[in-house]
Amino acid sequence: MNNILENYSKNYSEQIKKRRFWNIFIVLGLFIAILISSSIIDFNVTRIASGIPRLGDYIAKILPNLDTNLLFANSQIEGSVPYWYFNFKKYIILLYETFNMAVLSTLFGFVFALLLSFFSAKNITPNVFSFYFVKRFLEFLRGVPEIIFAILFVWALGVGPLAGIIAMTIHTTGALGKLFSEVHENADLKSCEAIRSSGGGWIPQMRYGILPQVLPNIISYALLRFEINIRASTVIGFVGAGGIGQELYLVINFNYYEEVSAIILLIILTVITIDITSGALRQRIIKGVHD
Amino acid sequence: MTDKNVISLCPKAFLPLWRRSPVGFLIIILSIVYVGFTIHFFGFSLTKILGGLVNMKPILTAMFLWQDFSTWNFSVIFTGLAQTLAMAFLGTFLATLVCIPISFLASKRIFRFAFLRFFIKRILDLIRGVDILIWAIIYVRAFGLGPLAGLMSIFTADVGTLGKLFSEAADNADTKQIEGIESSGSNKLTVIRFGLVPQIIPIFISQSLYFFESNTRSAVILGVVGAGGIGLQLTERMKAQYWDQSLFIIILILVMVSIIDTLSRAIRKKVIDG
Amino acid sequence: MGSLQLNSLIKQFGKSSDGRLAVADITLEVTQGEMVGIIGKSGAGKSTLLRMINRLVEPTSGSISFDGTDVTSLKGKALKKWRSECAMIFQQFHLIDRLDVLTNVLTGTLGRRYNILNIFKIFPKEEKINALKALHKLDLSNKALQRVETLSGGEQQRVAIARALMQKPKILLADEPISSLDPKNSKIVMDDIKKINNDEGITVICNLHSLEVAKQYSRRLIGLSEGKIVFDGPPENLTQKLSQELYDLENE
Repeated sequence: MNNILENYSKNYSEQIKKRRFWNIFIVLGLFIAILISSSIIDFNVTRIASGIPRLGDYIAKILPNLDTNLLFANSQIEGSVPYWYFNFKKYIILLYETFNMAVLSTLFGFVFALLLSFFSAKNITPNVFSFYFVKRFLEFLRGVPEIIFAILFVWALGVGPLAGIIAMTIHTTGALGKLFSEVHENADLKSCEAIRSSGGGWIPQMRYGILPQVLPNIISYALLRFEINIRASTVIGFVGAGGIGQELYLVINFNYYEEVSAIILLIILTVITIDITSGALRQRIIKGVHD
Repeated sequence: MTDKNVISLCPKAFLPLWRRSPVGFLIIILSIVYVGFTIHFFGFSLTKILGGLVNMKPILTAMFLWQDFSTWNFSVIFTGLAQTLAMAFLGTFLATLVCIPISFLASKRIFRFAFLRFFIKRILDLIRGVDILIWAIIYVRAFGLGPLAGLMSIFTADVGTLGKLFSEAADNADTKQIEGIESSGSNKLTVIRFGLVPQIIPIFISQSLYFFESNTRSAVILGVVGAGGIGLQLTERMKAQYWDQSLFIIILILVMVSIIDTLSRAIRKKVIDG
Repeated sequence: MGSLQLNSLIKQFGKSSDGRLAVADITLEVTQGEMVGIIGKSGAGKSTLLRMINRLVEPTSGSISFDGTDVTSLKGKALKKWRSECAMIFQQFHLIDRLDVLTNVLTGTLGRRYNILNIFKIFPKEEKINALKALHKLDLSNKALQRVETLSGGEQQRVAIARALMQKPKILLADEPISSLDPKNSKIVMDDIKKINNDEGITVICNLHSLEVAKQYSRRLIGLSEGKIVFDGPPENLTQKLSQELYDLENE
């Protein structure tokens, strides 16, 4: 009896020692990483301290000078909302353009990703060669940042939303393709087997055996991706690829301070609206969707 | 049984598509019209796209012809990589530290002040509504070009996202553990320390690591607007049309991201399992 | 006419020579129109044997022929054609839960005739009529547009039978079709299978868990133990002793 207790307490203290060692190791490692990172970036409190006032300064500059009495006066009078938003029409058209960029790139990216994902899913791919090829290809599309593709396409296709849409479609295909194949890999292969046993080929197996069960999940992922793409569309204009980002870049560089806050506010509102709508749609889809 | 009789068993199945499910049909038609209209609105055409692809040809050929290695300035490139990693790491780390107390404040379980919770959640929403690239431009104004601005952008964007994720995790925590400690009469701090923290720390660590991965990608992008790191190196070379060096850097970026991905996944597995 | 011949079938799982022999040298002949019940413990090789017939599982050695044609060497289109002539129903039904009954039944035609319209769930009118006829025979035509997942276990298995019928099969392979069903539904399903065997002359090879059911529905029983045939004949000939050996399965 004593032996058992002895062994147990020996074991226990060994485990505690091990855990303590690991904890110290991790904390030390983190500490070293912090030191190294800080020196690489030249991060220290003084630089932050000197930067914060400049930040505050900039924020104060871009916030509009709204006079509560004049809020709804006409656009000629400083201090009113219409004065702040005198370029409202231009912004709305750009926002519409931005929205469409996100819709098209999500839509096309979704279709391409869906088709390719059947090849990059381990359990349903028709042959090993296509599996590795498609998987690496999708990883490449996903790994290269969208904005880099955007720069390339602005170079090749000129300034404007086409470059942005193609760049986002490419990145969306990669990102969704990976997610979709993960969903496929968790799918139940029973109805696939049934179609196979009745003489059905690979395509009907995928269409009827896999697609109906994964559809809610992949539509949910697509909606999430749309939310991300809306955000991306707002800034891809920074490199000339269209949308409201182009205008924002312009007003920041020309120091049209109040326009900066005007545009940023519109962007925030758009993003929040899309997030809420998309979130509600996703809830409904998870509850039940027909094929 | 005659065919007519069979059809009468389930006439709906024999209706044409637009009568069987009018809603679905309408959605498909509207979508096609919308896509067609939008493509027209943008003035896209196949000729434009093909023309663009032709323009890509010289760029692509230049990308694969690597030459003049002496001008490549490898030390600057690798410093850039280090800067990107450092930005991502510090940014994620600091944001995690800050979000831990924020999540407690914004969590239903700990503080029953609905107004405070609402307020904090709205601020987090606002922060998330602004894309990280916009933060980067603003921070470049305040801190100048270079990785410090990038660090602040990552920090800010992460506070928004991690704040939401952490407070959701805290919200979904198991009440039993918390109530157990509460009922023993301990104060709020002890309740948090022993009732809530042990449950959610693994989730926090796991999310942090996932975002470190994703922040490495973001850190690359920030370089485009001057916030330092390898992204800056890449855009400079692309603007100067050194396509071969650009491809080299892109490959470096892919390799770096892939290594971080694998490491992060391995550590996350250990944290969730252990 | 239409006899199924299994010759020296062996299936080994695992690569080395000491891998498990799921099917250890089975030679068997089934004539057209027979209803054969295969009985035996779990792991006796029933399921593997059945799946070798439609090549869902590849035999390690041995051959299968139907009507003189060697089935084991078929590839591509010919293999698909063979599979369409062999309909299979499963213990867990293997239906598409989220789609409606009628579409599920129509997927049985995908082996026989298939074109791009099928991708959009557009099936020829005559096939829809056939599908409804089959459902009507199985007393399910009123549920044709309901989602499969809303149906009970017994109903789902009958949908699977209707799907099998759409293949216009020569052989019906039933892999433990009633193991997931309660006694009442088991009877309905087995009655339907028996009717198909009688009325359409389709050969039925049915893996069964329950000795009682097997005795009741088939005129020829094949008992499997550890991958070998230990009994082949009418139920009356099944001795007490052999029954006991195979009887184990009733206790599972």
